[in-house]
Amino acid sequence: MDSLFTRYRNLVVLLAFLVVQIAGLAVQVRRTSYGRSTLDTVDPKSVRLIRLWANAVVSPPERLIHATKIGSTGLWTDYFDLIHVRQQNQDLQKTVDRLRLEQAALLEDARQGQRLQAMLGFQEKYIYTTVPAQVYGSSGSDRSHVFYIDKGAHNGLKPDMAVITSDGIVGKVRDVFPYSAQVLAVNDPTSGAGVILETTRIRGVLKGDVAGRLEVVGVTADQRIKPGENVLTAGGDLIFPRGLPVGVVERVATDPDNDGLVDIYLKPATHLDRLDEVLVITSTEPRFSKQDQQDITTSENLKGAEAATISDQLKAAQIMGEKLPGLVDPSLPPDKQPLYDDTNPNPATPPPQPLHPDEFSPGAAYTPPSATNPPAGSGTGADNSSASHAPSGAGSKAAPASHSTPQTPPQRNL
Amino acid sequence: MALLGADARRDFEIHRYPLLIYALVPLVALVLQAWLPRILGRFAWVDLPLVITVYFALGRRNPVQGTVIGAVMGLFEDALSHYAIGINGIAKTAVGFLAASVGIRVEVDNHTVRVLLIFVLSLVSSAIYLFVSRFMLGLAIEWSWLTELFRAVGNSVVGLVLFPVLDRLQIRE
Repeated sequence: MDSLFTRYRNLVVLLAFLVVQIAGLAVQVRRTSYGRSTLDTVDPKSVRLIRLWANAVVSPPERLIHATKIGSTGLWTDYFDLIHVRQQNQDLQKTVDRLRLEQAALLEDARQGQRLQAMLGFQEKYIYTTVPAQVYGSSGSDRSHVFYIDKGAHNGLKPDMAVITSDGIVGKVRDVFPYSAQVLAVNDPTSGAGVILETTRIRGVLKGDVAGRLEVVGVTADQRIKPGENVLTAGGDLIFPRGLPVGVVERVATDPDNDGLVDIYLKPATHLDRLDEVLVITSTEPRFSKQDQQDITTSENLKGAEAATISDQLKAAQIMGEKLPGLVDPSLPPDKQPLYDDTNPNPATPPPQPLHPDEFSPGAAYTPPSATNPPAGSGTGADNSSASHAPSGAGSKAAPASHSTPQTPPQRNL
Repeated sequence: MALLGADARRDFEIHRYPLLIYALVPLVALVLQAWLPRILGRFAWVDLPLVITVYFALGRRNPVQGTVIGAVMGLFEDALSHYAIGINGIAKTAVGFLAASVGIRVEVDNHTVRVLLIFVLSLVSSAIYLFVSRFMLGLAIEWSWLTELFRAVGNSVVGLVLFPVLDRLQIRE
């Protein structure tokens, strides 16, 4: 027996390693009620321990590399890349002013929306607190779209917390270690999120494919779905708050496995391959956060009156537009507008040009009478000749009237 | 490609390295493997742990050591992903064993032979990964052989550059 082991030692060791690993795999895979195999979403304790060890070994050097990279790029951005900062600062201040004005203008709508939601018994969840984190590493495999962030259990992170950037959603926390966490990106085949198309309000499930592309699956074929439409989170998955940007529809393809369904491929709102900083949503509440409330109050104080004035002006313009007849019909395309309609037997004609432009003539600059330019009808040859060529009408009647009674104000020459 | 007796080659050409190299090189490979996709994105068609497994297995010419190196590297790779721990482990265990077994019988100091071996063993590793995940575990994974081919080429190129550098770290007698 001993000699047999010695003789086949290499093969025995190989088999032992393979058998142990196959047994380990067997406890990690389970069969679903649909008869398909799937991995446990929550790792068994022993597996989690192995991940913890691997993370403890690989994380410190990865963080060191990341810190070196940040340091070198920071040197550049802090010292050499400050040439246009003043201009950028001014531009940003303008953007802040504009956003404050928009926020103040939208505040009343938001309050009305909240009142309606309260009446319907539905409470919107707002992002209440977030933890900023740096991305320092990945899984190293293109089959596993996970990455690591430098915040963990000590920073209050828990599994299934949403991870976002200012551009849109990124993924969810899958595993939490003491000082780091593993995030499952939305473009992984095993991820999932409820999404809704912004204009058509069609709902679907967001997943990733093997190439790391985003797709919305399980959508009934609909001709209204067009490239360029925005896709937002639907909020029904209890992970991502409603209304966060997901991406833009890139193309629609027929689902090869299911008749009548289509797969919608998206261009992600965030650059999922090049993430540096992310925000982990640690809590959502049915009310605005303190920071949000402060921002709203500031905007209301600074721009509230201005927003109200603009709103009143818009309302007045709308009322005037509704009351006054117009040559522009909003329901018709530009080339079919009444003004340009050649088939109309009674076309709308632009107003005739005045013979003698005055201050009341539309679009004409009026020059007041002076010593070098006597008023009409004072006896100059030019005025007389123009008056003699004038057709009988309002224009021809206006001249004698003004001539005979110089004190009366000039009549409209239309 | 000269075929020699197993004992003769094992006695004369076992590559030996300082102990630190055995710990440091695999660690650097794992760290770079986790870091490179952040630079190269989805074009990171390279599997550094596999390249290192093949290198040490070929150099040590001991199937048991090749098996152990492959298993450790594969398990670490699995542990850093979110998939089941053991799929890469099995694939690289087999690759380490095969590389060491080939190293006993074949002249492997030739760069062409090494590159050819990395290319073939990369495809073998991919095939084992596919077999274990799809057929043994029944997991629904999508697969592209073209990507695996690119990865095999990438591994060969990295091996061509990296192996001469690592050869300099050997203990010369």
